[in-house]
Amino acid sequence: MEFIQTLLANQVLVSILLSALPLVFIVLMVLVVLYTEMKVAAHIQDRVAYMRTGWHGVLQPIADMLKLLQKEDIIPTKSDKLLFRTAPFIAFTGTYVAYAVLPFSSIYIGSNINLGAFFLVAAGSFVVIGILMAGWASNNKWSLIGGIRSASQMISYEIPTALAVIIVVMITGSLNLQDVTKFQDGGMGNWIVFGGPLPWMQKLMLMPFTLVTFFILFVASIAEVNRTPFDFPEAESELVQGFNTEYSGMRFAMFYLSEYANLFTVSAVVVSLFLGGWSSPFGTFMSGPLWGIFWFVVKAYMFMLIQIWIRWTLPRLRVDQLMFVSWKVLTPWLFVCILGVGLILVL
Amino acid sequence: MELYTIIFYFFTVITLGSTCIVVFSRNIVRAAFALLFAFFGVAGIYIFLLADFIAVTQLLIYVGGIMVLILFSVMLTSHQINVDAKTGVIQTLPAILISACIGGGLVWVFWITDWKVNSQLPIVETTAPKIGEMLLTKYLLPFEVASVILLVALIGAAMIARREKKV
Amino acid sequence: MSAIKTYFYNIYHSLLTVIVGMRITIKHIFTRSATIQYPTVKMKIPERGRNRLFVNIDDCIGCDQCAIACPVDCITIETIKSTPDMDLGITSKKTKKRLYIPCFDIDIAKCCYCGLCVWPCPTECIVMTDVYEFAEYDRQNLIYSFSNMTTEEITAAQDRLEKYNEEQAAKKAAATVAVKESPASSTSASPVTPPPIKPAPPTVEPNQG
Repeated sequence: MEFIQTLLANQVLVSILLSALPLVFIVLMVLVVLYTEMKVAAHIQDRVAYMRTGWHGVLQPIADMLKLLQKEDIIPTKSDKLLFRTAPFIAFTGTYVAYAVLPFSSIYIGSNINLGAFFLVAAGSFVVIGILMAGWASNNKWSLIGGIRSASQMISYEIPTALAVIIVVMITGSLNLQDVTKFQDGGMGNWIVFGGPLPWMQKLMLMPFTLVTFFILFVASIAEVNRTPFDFPEAESELVQGFNTEYSGMRFAMFYLSEYANLFTVSAVVVSLFLGGWSSPFGTFMSGPLWGIFWFVVKAYMFMLIQIWIRWTLPRLRVDQLMFVSWKVLTPWLFVCILGVGLILVL
Repeated sequence: MELYTIIFYFFTVITLGSTCIVVFSRNIVRAAFALLFAFFGVAGIYIFLLADFIAVTQLLIYVGGIMVLILFSVMLTSHQINVDAKTGVIQTLPAILISACIGGGLVWVFWITDWKVNSQLPIVETTAPKIGEMLLTKYLLPFEVASVILLVALIGAAMIARREKKV
Repeated sequence: MSAIKTYFYNIYHSLLTVIVGMRITIKHIFTRSATIQYPTVKMKIPERGRNRLFVNIDDCIGCDQCAIACPVDCITIETIKSTPDMDLGITSKKTKKRLYIPCFDIDIAKCCYCGLCVWPCPTECIVMTDVYEFAEYDRQNLIYSFSNMTTEEITAAQDRLEKYNEEQAAKKAAATVAVKESPASSTSASPVTPPPIKPAPPTVEPNQG
């Protein structure tokens, strides 16, 4: 950072440049994830997906992106134009701020604030506002229903997410994601999903609770990014495309990018809270700042693969089932976990 | 210009600008969305006051929770969407009196406060552990009372919303 | 008690079904895809598949049965009677050809590939081939003309027929003094099949039999 600072000799320019760094990552990552998603979806359905653009169609996501860039930006006549224009940016801002606190490596984290985990939960709420705004401004019944569904869903699932984060914080004693990761450093056995680096007796007792918490956080994170089986905001068969029905061109691309960036964020959160973040699963073997980025991205990518796999397996829930899962299953079970973890840690 | 100064003025402009929209906008949904930005700007200013926990809580509770509830109620009461919010003057004299009182009070507080410059303050790593300790020791009773009140409200809401079975 | 039981059973059951479903889908990731890379790899067309129509015009006797059978009227056939002195040859089925076919158009864009035109053909000259890639940029290019007669040949045939008809008329006039038999013979110089969709004109062409 000092190097770039001396190079450009302007603090403002440097901060803008550095804060644009995750954007490059997001764009590249989205291309890869798009390709993976299409390929996995196709192979699950016994198809082969893109084959013509480059080797096995690897260039197709780039072509798709170029196509989206060229498309006409249509704004409905009777929409609330100001809000309609702003909504995609707010949704994307909400996803983008979360990247500030993701610990990519032991040396790279956008902002090493002490409330990282808490901030991540809070940042998710901005996406809700963007989606709600898009739904309302489109002046379309489907969009509005999609937006409202999205808001109610994300608010409901923020509670299990926050509770799961609390459990991790109880074990590690810190909200700083960098500290949480360091706490789990040193091999697979130290990951919080397996009880963390505690005396083995305590660890064994913690393990069932952490496993359940891990699983619940995973389910809640799928719901947070509005993916099947929780894709109510854009349920194609019911709501056309939900909140982004009226969007086209770059504005639609912003929502698209935001969705996939969010997918990475939630995976990264699960990884850094439960699976050791950037720390190598083999202790000191293959560990270091650069390997850190590798492990972090690979672990998050594995999670995205599982999410994609789930998406192309399960059908959508009913709306009442959605609320049932959040309020009557995930939340009470997490309360039990909090109680259990608390008792074990105190005793 | 210092980077932090730019950011500070950025948040100030956001806060003041969006509060003006909240007050003067005739479209109630736009006013609600502007309120969101006002909350966001205030959260930014909290960070400058070294209250990071409060800032993030502001984001989580106000932007994520209360704002969405306000938007819900505005959007779902369909009559409200197309009705222009009244911005005309109704009762001039009481309004002037109340505004003057509040404004005077704020200015008075502003003058009597012993403002500390950033460098004079001890650098606190994070306020979260302190707040937690305080809540569970010194301010335990208010904390518990607040939680009991919330629980009562929750049960009451559930009772009202509950579907009657077998009449 | 039963409510609690159902609650736990539901959780257990939903987890179980999710795992079952995911096992099925992951199996499919590793099975061979059912699709083929179409333009480079092509599927074998069944032997009796119905695709583009082809008319072997040398075998056609102009009987118009295919055009009558066609449910969408995509076949247009015009014929000119040949005079007795002309020999048009025989078809591969040893049927004597009696009609010139100046026009045998198939609008393949209208064709519904039902194959109903194939069955009535007495000489089996209209068949369905295995060609299925014949997209065009212009719709006009989808009207296939199978007639091999040039314009000169058509006019020559028409002229001969007219002359012959006049001769016949003269002969008949000589034989039966009063009544003319075929009033429409002169119009038969330009024999036209009735337009496919519009109702046929009231005057029936004699040479259409």
